[in-house]
Amino acid sequence: MKTIKSIQLSSIILILSLFAYAQTANAQKGKKKADKETIAWRYELEAIATGVQGTYQIKAWSYSKNVETAIEQAKKNAVHGIIFKGFPNKGRIQGQKPLARDSQLYDKNKKFFKNFFKTGSGDYMKFVTLANNGNIAAGDRIKLSKKEYKIGVIISVNVSELRKHLEDEGLIKSLSDGF
Amino acid sequence: MGFNTNKLIMRKILLLLLTSILFVNTSFSQAKKPTIMIVPSDNWCIINGFVMEFDNQGTKVKIPNYKKAFQESTELLLVISTINGLMAERGFPLKNMESAIKTLEANSAEESMLSSKEASMGVSESPIDKLKKVAKADIIMQLTWTINRTGPEKSITFILQGLDAYTDKQIATATGTGDPSSAAELPVLLKEAVLSHIDNFNASLMSHFDDLFTNGREVTIRIKKWDDWENDLETEYGKDDYELGEIIEDWLADNTVKGRYNTTDATENMMLFEQVRIPLYYERNGKQRAMDTRRFAKQLSAYLKNKPYLIINKVMTKGLGEATIILGGK
Repeated sequence: MKTIKSIQLSSIILILSLFAYAQTANAQKGKKKADKETIAWRYELEAIATGVQGTYQIKAWSYSKNVETAIEQAKKNAVHGIIFKGFPNKGRIQGQKPLARDSQLYDKNKKFFKNFFKTGSGDYMKFVTLANNGNIAAGDRIKLSKKEYKIGVIISVNVSELRKHLEDEGLIKSLSDGF
Repeated sequence: MGFNTNKLIMRKILLLLLTSILFVNTSFSQAKKPTIMIVPSDNWCIINGFVMEFDNQGTKVKIPNYKKAFQESTELLLVISTINGLMAERGFPLKNMESAIKTLEANSAEESMLSSKEASMGVSESPIDKLKKVAKADIIMQLTWTINRTGPEKSITFILQGLDAYTDKQIATATGTGDPSSAAELPVLLKEAVLSHIDNFNASLMSHFDDLFTNGREVTIRIKKWDDWENDLETEYGKDDYELGEIIEDWLADNTVKGRYNTTDATENMMLFEQVRIPLYYERNGKQRAMDTRRFAKQLSAYLKNKPYLIINKVMTKGLGEATIILGGK
C-alpha cells in the first residue's frame, strides 16, 4: 500500500517538474526568438514626445507570443533602435538619427553587443526606463495571429549617457574627436 | 637586492619616458578645433524689433542690433544658454556672443568713428562681419524662431543653421515646427524646440567634420602683387617658361588634399583660389602638427621665395580660413 502511494507521489512530482521545465524552456525559447528578431530589425520605434534633457521618449513595438517577453524585449529594442536605426518624425515630433554612423558597427563589435544586450545582465538596462510602469494601452496590444502579439511599450532612453558609454568604449566617435 | 631596486627604477623611468613621448606625439597630432558662436539671424532681429535703421544714400537699410537683443530678450538668452550647455556636454563649448560684442565696443574711439563714417557712407562691413572679425569664430550657428498662434494655441518654428564663417556655406541644419500647446509657456516650448533639434544638428555637423578629416579643411587663398613690383602673375619663370600663375596652380595641385582647389579668378595682378582643401596635419621634425591656412600659405610663400623664383612675398591671414600672399615685397 505504502509502495503504491510513494509511486503515485513520485509520478506527481515528475509530472510537475516536467511541466515547470517545459514552461521555462518555452520562455527561454521565446526570449531567444525575441533576441533574433531584434537583430533582424523586426521592431518599430515611434516618437512619442520630446523627452527631458538628454532623453528620448519613444514607443517600441515588439513581436512575441508572450506579452511579458514583449515588454522586456521592448527595452532592448528601444536601445538597439536608438543606436542602429533611429526613428522618424511623427507629426510634429522630431525623429532622431541613429547614434552609430558606421553601418557595420554591429558586425565589427559582435562580442561587445552580445554582452551589452544580454538578457538579465546586459548594460543596456542602465539606459532604459519604462514609462507608465510598463502598462500597455488597449490599442497597443495587437493580436496578429494565434501565436503572435505586437506590443507597443512607451520607454524613456537616457541617450546622453548611452552616447557617452559608447564613446568611452570607442565604438562611436564623439563630436570633438580628432580635434 | 640593490641591483633589483635599480632595475625597477630604470624600468619605471623608461616607462615614464615612453608615456611622455606618446603624449607629446598625440597632443601634436590633434587638428585645430573650430570655434563656434551662436548668432540670432537678421530675420529674427528684424521681426522682434532689434534693429538699427539708417539712410544709405536714399535707401533705408535695417541692420540687426545685437546688443539690444541681448539686453532685452530673455528668450534669446535662454535659447543660447541651453544650446551652449548641450554643446559643452558634447565637448564643444561655444564662444559667447555677448562677450564678443563687448570686445567690439571696447575697440578704439578712432575705429568707432571710422565705422560710423562708413555706415553713413554705405556699409562696407556688416555687423556680422565686424563680429566675425572680433570673435574669429569658424562656425556660426544662426538661430531663428517664430511663434505661431492659432486661437489660444501656440507653437514654435525653429531654424538652426551652421554656417562656415569663411566660405559662408551651410554645413549643418535642423528645422521644424513643434507641437501646438495652449498650456505651456513660451520658454518651455523654446527649450523643447532646442532639445528636439540639437542632436540632429550635431549629427549633420559631425558629417561636416568627417568630410573635413577625409577631404581636408576648405579655405581661401588669394595672391596679390605690390604695385611697385616689376613682375606679375604672367611673368615666365624657369627653363620651361611657365607663367607664375601656372606655377602657383601646379603647387596647389600637388599640395592640396586630392589636388582639390578652384581657381575662381585669375588676372595678371591677382588670383583667387576657393575651396582649397588643405590637409589637417603636416610633418615637422618627424612629428605631426596641426595645419592651418597660415601654415599652408607659408609653405607656398617659402616655395616662391626659394630658387629658382626668388620672389620676396608677404603672408597675411584672416582667422583660420583665409590667407593672402602679396608678391614683390614684405
